[in-house]
Amino acid sequence: MRTFRLTDTAFTALAAGRPSAATVGVLRRAQASRHLLELSEIRKLGGPVPEPIELFDPMAALHTAVTRTALRAGQTPPPPRRAATHHLSASHRGHTLRVRLEDTDPLRAELGLTPSGRLTTDEVAEWQRLLSSAWELLTTRHREAAEIMAATLRVLVPVEPDPGASGLSATSAVAFGAVAISTPGDPRSFAVGLLHECQHSLLNATFTLFDLVNPGGARVCSPWRDDPRPLSGLLHGAYAYQSVARFWHVESRRRIPRQRPGHAALPGLSPARQDSAAHLSAVGSTARTDGPVEVSGPDETGPHGPAAGSGGGLAPEAQSRDGGAAELRGRLAEFEFARWRGAVLSAADTLLSSAHLTAAGTRFVGAMRAEVAGLPVGSVHPRVARLAAGANAEHRARWRLRNLAVPAHTLAELVSAWRAGRPAPVPAESELRADSGRRLESSGRLRLVHEALNDRPAAAGLRPGDAAYLDGDGGTALVAYIEEVELGAPDLDCWAGISALSPQVALRERPEVVRAVWIKLIKSEKVGLTALAAWVGGSLMSS
Amino acid sequence: MDRTTEESATEWRSPMVDVSGMSLDELGAQEGDSTLARALRRLADELDEPGEPIAGFNSAL
Repeated sequence: MRTFRLTDTAFTALAAGRPSAATVGVLRRAQASRHLLELSEIRKLGGPVPEPIELFDPMAALHTAVTRTALRAGQTPPPPRRAATHHLSASHRGHTLRVRLEDTDPLRAELGLTPSGRLTTDEVAEWQRLLSSAWELLTTRHREAAEIMAATLRVLVPVEPDPGASGLSATSAVAFGAVAISTPGDPRSFAVGLLHECQHSLLNATFTLFDLVNPGGARVCSPWRDDPRPLSGLLHGAYAYQSVARFWHVESRRRIPRQRPGHAALPGLSPARQDSAAHLSAVGSTARTDGPVEVSGPDETGPHGPAAGSGGGLAPEAQSRDGGAAELRGRLAEFEFARWRGAVLSAADTLLSSAHLTAAGTRFVGAMRAEVAGLPVGSVHPRVARLAAGANAEHRARWRLRNLAVPAHTLAELVSAWRAGRPAPVPAESELRADSGRRLESSGRLRLVHEALNDRPAAAGLRPGDAAYLDGDGGTALVAYIEEVELGAPDLDCWAGISALSPQVALRERPEVVRAVWIKLIKSEKVGLTALAAWVGGSLMSS
Repeated sequence: MDRTTEESATEWRSPMVDVSGMSLDELGAQEGDSTLARALRRLADELDEPGEPIAGFNSAL
């Protein structure tokens, strides 16, 4: 019996997020084969086999997977599928995207998000309008990605928005080409969300063909989630954000002309699309100081400013800025590109050093990393690059603060040594807390950065250090955040900001340790945070 | 899967069988095929330990 094969050239192109039409065809056939194998098992188990069999329909494949699982568990299989009748189509520059808008399938919640109810006629028309605009953007400026999407995407499942997120989307490993997504705010968000999810579908199908990650391995920090992730989940995120980074790289090289407020035009889109593109901010006329800037990933340090007594400093252009805000306006694309490029590179390095990748996985991740590393960062303004690196550093710090616990004996030893005036003992590795479930990234400071890049006034919640942070004055921001810790009850955002900005190794690398000791000591004595961090850092430097 | 060299081209071979062009009856007639059996075992292992849906892209824009 014939098995699937990919040439190394096709395999590495797939890893780079650039599969050929033939490769997408292989993935599609692989998913159909998987579907048929599952149906054969259902028939052996005496379960219901649909007629006709829609081998290539993602929701039919999902129904089959749920049916098989139910039968294996001795449960009642789901009722027959009921497909929606809303069919959307978008054509531009000779490329056509056709999808089913699914609002009736009773199993659509299996995609992982809460589905919307039945759509009204007006809602269907709005989805069509958004899809047409997103498709126009993709085929105009991201043609290769659009072609891959047209070959992959078959079903959209509208889902309820999450109050804590601007846009949510999801895919399932058993529904190749189906994407659950909340109503997008604008065509650009829609386009990038669909690109992201189509990458997940491609990787799901790749997993059907090849084992890329060996079982086992620790749950690790992922640059896009606040909860710990298995290595396979980290690979999924990296692969999806590869397409996001590439999307924003292309977008960052375009200048968006200044428009009157609320009427920013999307170059390449027709005037009729301006309403749907009104979220886009205008670019200021400030002269750019472009130049090659290497963006650090989450494992690297952020936009360090001079800490008290550290002697560190910011680059000159940050200190001679025109008040800060004008330089950032309209540079959201640069920020997103720089941030996700750094994040994917960091995730790839974590995977490659995990010793849990198969030979195919090592080849795959290596090719993915090379693709993203090859995206030039010259179009990113230095201040935006620092904010992007800061966002990644802050994320990593917040992840450690939220998910890692200092072992009780380590904490006791540190507190005892501090009180006795002894050097700090080397702290044991921190331990993962109990799994608290899926958690999307949530950062007040990141929200402020987005607002500044979008030229929107900062909403409530601007803390003393945040204005300085946005202005690129990391030293002042750090001092303000440390004061906040020493004066009151700081939240994780404050601690994460300190970690991202501090030049002190203990705060950068082990913020959870400094915080745990601080909380223990501050109940009974006055402690300077900088002094405490220097003391803990002494043990890390000597270990 | 194996990585092999055939006709000067390095290939990645999947254990997954291509039955996308078959009917259920045709697939049933292949029972006993060792390649098919291997693919079924791998699929069963995967299905018995399903991953979570890949949910949660937050466009944050």
